[in-house]
Amino acid sequence: MFGYVRPSQNRLSAHDEELFESVYCGLCHELGRKYGFSARFVLNFDFTFLAILLSEAGEPECASCRCIAHPCRARCVMTHAQSLETAADHSIVLAWWQLRDHIADHGLFRSLPYRLASLFLRRAYRKARSCAPSFDEAVQRHLAELSACERECCASVDRAAEPFAALMADMAAVVPDGPRRRVMAELFYHLGRWIYLVDAADDLKKDFASGCYNPLRYRYALTSGELDEKTRQEVALLLDLSVHRMADAYALLERGAWSNILDSIFYESLYGIGNAVLNGTYHKPPRRIHFRIKQEKIEETV
Amino acid sequence: MNDPYQILNIPPTATDEEVKRAYRDLARKYHPDNYHDNPLADLAQEKMKEINEAYDQIQKQRKASSAASQSYSYGYADPGRSYGGSYYDNNSYGASRLQQVRAAVNRGDISLAERLLSGVSEHDAEWNFLMGVVCSRRGWLDEARRYLETAVQMEPGNPEYRSALASLTGSGYRPDGFRTFHTANFDENACLRCCAAWSCCTLFSGGGCYLIPC
Repeated sequence: MFGYVRPSQNRLSAHDEELFESVYCGLCHELGRKYGFSARFVLNFDFTFLAILLSEAGEPECASCRCIAHPCRARCVMTHAQSLETAADHSIVLAWWQLRDHIADHGLFRSLPYRLASLFLRRAYRKARSCAPSFDEAVQRHLAELSACERECCASVDRAAEPFAALMADMAAVVPDGPRRRVMAELFYHLGRWIYLVDAADDLKKDFASGCYNPLRYRYALTSGELDEKTRQEVALLLDLSVHRMADAYALLERGAWSNILDSIFYESLYGIGNAVLNGTYHKPPRRIHFRIKQEKIEETV
Repeated sequence: MNDPYQILNIPPTATDEEVKRAYRDLARKYHPDNYHDNPLADLAQEKMKEINEAYDQIQKQRKASSAASQSYSYGYADPGRSYGGSYYDNNSYGASRLQQVRAAVNRGDISLAERLLSGVSEHDAEWNFLMGVVCSRRGWLDEARRYLETAVQMEPGNPEYRSALASLTGSGYRPDGFRTFHTANFDENACLRCCAAWSCCTLFSGGGCYLIPC
């Protein structure tokens, strides 16, 4: 997961911001409570978003508390809820397999930071696996499909995006069977697809430099890491199509207290984030996958 | 039946104008055009039926005293209409294989439709159209668009192909207050404010959520 999804701030009231913050902090506390301190580092916006989608439509229960990152001002923190626990389990499982994937992709020396991180995460992963065994199995299967796609330099973005999208759709399995699960699965599928494509657009330059697989490169037969205007429009349309599908699915959900936050995401900020990524004006928050930052440091010293 | 006012999300004291507006907004939201070739089309159809019935009921209640009750629907949707219904009808080629594909799509059996399509050697406009429909159902939107575009190019006069392409690339429903944004031409100033502000504000005022775990 990459942490791209966040609401447009100018759409949110003070109350909505507090709600969003309470889920973000709630998820962090849940990770800490269930998996220990080091697990808190896997926290990101996408799973916050996931926790919101899985939450009950009513106003959440909150408690005011301080923590190491906010020692002065006590924050409103969503208290233990099923949605937070699910999001926590899933984020640990996914983070673990992404680490394993990085380790497999890099040489012995380059994979050191990932190895170190996975050492810290091992115990948490074992516990998470026992809480979400079917998701664990699904992640392994889909990531294997993804590497197969990468190996053969697949030129279809749809096929390349499928494993990650399907992996996200599998998270809907925690929702009781029925129409709501179908809606969630569709929503998560296109969310995963969108995240995968945005990430591909974001990493295009880097992938060209390092020679890594990037679906956009083969789909549009690109010769450099820069998108020309026509291709940029094409990719933008591709992202639009996924956002529309998410919005259509979202329209079928009852979201109660969360509707302002979710409206701002589905009807506005996803377009803004996609646009910023395509224009190169999207700046990642500093702690976006901190493992990667460590790796860059090591590369600098080499 | 549930409270019709609750379904339209308005208080029972709402004026006729407000009822109409609420109904129109919801009808726009669940309009079949938004769910063309969408795996959730049946759920949207149910919603549409529900709000049509709720609106109908309110109108009846309110016009109970007046002699002639007006026709209620704005023609947004005919509840009985099957979404894929048209796939059966205008088959101008008589190709039984493609008819079977249409039937499979209507039943929602996408993998059968795909298998049948891969066995057809002649890739005419209708084949491309049906491939587009199948891809769209699966969520493979890039390929769906390409197939539908090819179908429209091969047969520009066909309204079925054109409308399928138009609803795939259309901008869909936005609630009041949200402009029709696109990724390509998003108002950059507004966007930067929302994206950059979020991380900066939280970094400086919120206390380093991103640097250390909270």
